[in-house]
Amino acid sequence: MTAAAPATSAGEPLRVETLPTLPGLGALYARGAAASGRIAAGRAMPGLPVIGQGRAAEGDGEARPLTLPDVAHRVTGVPTVDLAHHLHDYQRLLHEPVTDVLPAGYLHVLAFPLATAVMVRGDFPLPLLGMVHLANAVELRGPVVVGDVLEVRAWAENLRPHKRGVQVDLVAEVRRQAEPGGAPVWRGVSTYLAKGFHLPWTGEPDLPAAATGGDGDERAPAGTWTPPLPTGRWALGPGTGRAYGAVSGDRNPIHLSALSAKAFGFPRAIAHGMYTAARALADVGHARGDAYRWTVEFASPVLLPGTIDVAVTPDGDGTGFAYVGWNGRRHRQHFRGAVTPL
Amino acid sequence: MATRKPSDGSPRGSSRTSSRAASPSAPAGVRDAVIVGGNRIPFSRAGKKYADASNQEMFTAALEGLVARFGLQGERIGEVVGGAVLKHSRDFNLIRESVLGSSLSPQTPAFDLQQACATGLEAAITVANKIRLGQIESGIAGGTDTISDAPVAVSEGLRRALLDASHAKTLQARLKAFAKVRPADLKPLSPATDEPRTGLSMGEHQAITTARWGISRSAQDEVALASHQHLAAAWDAGFFDDLVTPFRGLTRDDNLRADTSLEKLASLKPVFGRGLAEPAEPTMTAGNSTPLTDGASTVLLASADWAAERDLPVLARLVDAETAAVDFVHGHDGLLMAPVHAVPRLLARTGLDLGDFDFYEIHEAFASTVLTTLAAWEDADYCKAELGLDTPLGSIDRDRLNVNGSSLAAGHPFAATGGRILATAAKLVAAKAAETGKPARALISVCAAGGLGATAVVESV
Repeated sequence: MTAAAPATSAGEPLRVETLPTLPGLGALYARGAAASGRIAAGRAMPGLPVIGQGRAAEGDGEARPLTLPDVAHRVTGVPTVDLAHHLHDYQRLLHEPVTDVLPAGYLHVLAFPLATAVMVRGDFPLPLLGMVHLANAVELRGPVVVGDVLEVRAWAENLRPHKRGVQVDLVAEVRRQAEPGGAPVWRGVSTYLAKGFHLPWTGEPDLPAAATGGDGDERAPAGTWTPPLPTGRWALGPGTGRAYGAVSGDRNPIHLSALSAKAFGFPRAIAHGMYTAARALADVGHARGDAYRWTVEFASPVLLPGTIDVAVTPDGDGTGFAYVGWNGRRHRQHFRGAVTPL
Repeated sequence: MATRKPSDGSPRGSSRTSSRAASPSAPAGVRDAVIVGGNRIPFSRAGKKYADASNQEMFTAALEGLVARFGLQGERIGEVVGGAVLKHSRDFNLIRESVLGSSLSPQTPAFDLQQACATGLEAAITVANKIRLGQIESGIAGGTDTISDAPVAVSEGLRRALLDASHAKTLQARLKAFAKVRPADLKPLSPATDEPRTGLSMGEHQAITTARWGISRSAQDEVALASHQHLAAAWDAGFFDDLVTPFRGLTRDDNLRADTSLEKLASLKPVFGRGLAEPAEPTMTAGNSTPLTDGASTVLLASADWAAERDLPVLARLVDAETAAVDFVHGHDGLLMAPVHAVPRLLARTGLDLGDFDFYEIHEAFASTVLTTLAAWEDADYCKAELGLDTPLGSIDRDRLNVNGSSLAAGHPFAATGGRILATAAKLVAAKAAETGKPARALISVCAAGGLGATAVVESV
């Protein structure tokens, strides 16, 4: 018994490549860095053979279009029975109650290496390092507990223009092995921006995902947005990125230290976006139930160390929660999102 | 001070038709718990006179003063109940150890209790309930807190390494445990007053509530000024002569500023709510917020018979009490608004109206806490939506509010505040009843961290 053949959200079929185990993120970053270097070299010197087929808009106009690999990575038989200790570390860090139920953010951590493996493929057209996480949308359809055996899939889809480059969705799905043909119990869509790339067939630029759900006011200059009354304040120490990097495996250098972040153009290390979103998810607490939709749009990076004000409040119709985080001194929005019980 | 036999426990009278509500009587099978008196040490700003005094030393001093005042040496008290908000783990039996260090009978049982800033009042409620049920004849309630001598904890990283090392069986395993310690783990952690679930300090929480209710800076400064003036007048009039025992060379609360003025208070810079967006403006200063304080307090409660047998005075009886909690985590209600919910429930049970009191003792965690509490009771929408009342609970006569000062002037050693307020309220109603020949009544309201609150009704006997 295998699950239904995977396809993108637009219905395009995907070839399945089954990996024996979930890849380790550290090695993927090394590959990603190398591939990013080759892609960057290819953009600088269009004559060189490059691993990715993407070409910058400032190229000679003969660039071949950017295309995504029509492949879904799959790993079956992923055990969780040994994850209790790691799960509890995650839960303590994110202020989740310590239980054997995997929060949606933990499943993101679990599936993230497979999505990253897609992004470091030779035929993936964009560089892993330097990509900007714009938004994330997750649906958890029921409780996943320690001991469940899981199947994880990941692929890239929906390459589309963004006013500052191109954006792409990395989709990951988690199924319980015991229900192979069933709908995924967890589905996450991570939207990334690759700056400086353009799609040759660019028509009307798509609005970034970050702006379609809201009023787009996160692009407003600092000081012109009026924050609500806060419900909480997070004092994020200098080690926040290292701590989340340790439990998530996401040791992207922009999160680890001021020095490594400077190499990528940030004045200091920045918090993982998913750390902030998962803190907000934890803040909602029991009201979210066992099945929920959890979204986030990232507006500006959270520099570390730093203190941010947050408002996590029931939304107007009382079915879920909306949240927003901002810099209390400059009234600049960092992120916003929603948690809605399903 | 007159003593009185306990009420006969008859059901509530139906003759409550006078403009003044009838005195609420105890339910059938329950007798009165009376307040004999109180004793505390002067409250001191953190880091000053009591800088090296421990919770146990301060509580023992307050307790010994009470014992001396009422001749309780060698007496086996039914129960001594109290606590501290900031407590070291070695003080697991803080109150019992204090009893053993006092001249009370060593056969006096005791236990620790903690409900943040409501600890002292909750201890008195607990003692009063045991007396009302006939389980004990006498009891002492109180609390103590020190900021100066607060416990300092090690970081989570170091704590885990120490625990792992102590569980390790071999030297190698112990070394491995310590190898996980990072330099940052060596920094000690001081106790914070931040709410664990929100990360906001109590002051920041109250700044949000203040902004929601639109409480002005000048209104808060007026509350602070009145607190200092009233407390100073009460000290000068000798009101605290039989309520306070000097300690470590201190004879008066050293936070008291008898000479403060609205001009001085207005000159202070806001310390809370500075990050709030327009139209909120920061209004809360060090002058209209309570300072961190060290101190301890005790109150002696008993059955009327027990007091009469010993020829002890009886100031008042603790009629009834109600605690409440609010949903503050996502901003539905303000952190310190729980007493606003408790009081209408308490009034409904005792058959009293908000106007039926001679004194209102509303703990001044911040001047604006008092003002948001009063504003909420006057607000028709809030009373309907949040308190389930068809009409607003009402207004109070401000001349009856904190007439001998409160925490803004006296300071606020968290667990000690309830005992200070209860003894003050009991003495006030006793004096008022003696003066007028009519029963006098006080309403007590104490807000607490965690969205908690405790309230009580005290009536002359």
